[in-house]
Amino acid sequence: MTEEEKASALKRLWQNISDTVYGMAAHDMSRAALRTRASMEHLFILITMGDLLGIPILPPYYSLRLLPYVVPQIATWKRRMLREKDVADAMF
Amino acid sequence: MGFKDVFLQHPERRYIMFGGGGGVGKTTFSAAAAYWLASHGKKVLVFSVDPQASLTDIFKRDIFGKGPVQIMQNLWAQEIDADKHIRAYQQEIRQKILDMYGLPAVPEEIENYIQAASAEPAMEESAMFDAVVDVVMQGDYDYYIYDLVPLGHALYYLSMAKVYDEWINKITELREEMREYEEMVSRLQRKKVTEQDQILQELLYIKNRINTSAGILTDKTKTAFFFVVIPEVGVINDTQKAAKLFAQFDVPLSGYLVNRVIPHELLDKNIPEYLRHRIAMQDQNLLGVRTALGDQVLAMVPEMERDVTGLPMIEKLAAGMFA
Repeated sequence: MTEEEKASALKRLWQNISDTVYGMAAHDMSRAALRTRASMEHLFILITMGDLLGIPILPPYYSLRLLPYVVPQIATWKRRMLREKDVADAMF
Repeated sequence: MGFKDVFLQHPERRYIMFGGGGGVGKTTFSAAAAYWLASHGKKVLVFSVDPQASLTDIFKRDIFGKGPVQIMQNLWAQEIDADKHIRAYQQEIRQKILDMYGLPAVPEEIENYIQAASAEPAMEESAMFDAVVDVVMQGDYDYYIYDLVPLGHALYYLSMAKVYDEWINKITELREEMREYEEMVSRLQRKKVTEQDQILQELLYIKNRINTSAGILTDKTKTAFFFVVIPEVGVINDTQKAAKLFAQFDVPLSGYLVNRVIPHELLDKNIPEYLRHRIAMQDQNLLGVRTALGDQVLAMVPEMERDVTGLPMIEKLAAGMFA
């Protein structure tokens, strides 16, 4: 084993340990944070683009300015806002 | 104090507005005030945000949607074309979507939304007042004279500005909270901090625009707001009600101008009974105006022998206003 290989093996080992620690300690936290953030994102689109669901909220002149930024989220947002609640909600 | 004294004593009030009910002569007075200031060496822009603007008729020049048009030395006039403004704005939004996502066409659902949003009644007012920000920001005029939309619209916009402001503060908070979560995830996953929140930037921009346009209407140091009335009971009552509402929004009222006063000199001439009755009734109403408004009445402008169109008639009217 050359010095170089040793160094890279050590690096891999360190990476694995840090990934494991992240998975045990922090993964759930970051998942929860991302979920919360996604909920807020949808709330945000609701209060700015409510018209898309038929709920007029923001003065339309200015909501158009924000429209380009939320284009990719609109499909998932609509699905989420309009779907019926079911058992799966509690699971995922 | 007369109308002229307001300008002499407060040269810092560079945004001049005329408000009042429909058909009392707001546009005529805007044009006449602009004419007087321009002929006294000030560089003046008079502009209209009214979709039924009539500066074109008054100056006998086609200026609708053409940007600032020079009428005479020191005097420019502009009529904002709201529809054109909205169409250009929609196109800007479409282009931004295409550029951001490299799409060949705007998705149908998004396009529908753009169309629907522009059909809302509030759209035109918002677009107009937003356009005013640009008008006032560019150019180096000594005076900006607004020919305001009728009272209801102006009030609607002012109240809208107040609601918008609070509303945007709220969603800006939400946006900042979202950012905290994002940063937390970045830290946990040891990633670089995420790029700037562009939506937050847009929100701050919108807030700034709304505050600027509402600010122009309510800035006591730079703005003078005049109500135009005619000596008729209904008009006077309505205007007083509106004045109370305007005061609630901190609009700096500088005084009232009475338009279309039938000259008293006519009584010496051989005039029909009909006209004598009109003058007597008007005297009664003017008495009411004086009791109610006192020295807030800055000028009584006589009814002209014909329509105020073209510069000679405007000059004549201005002489009455600035007497």
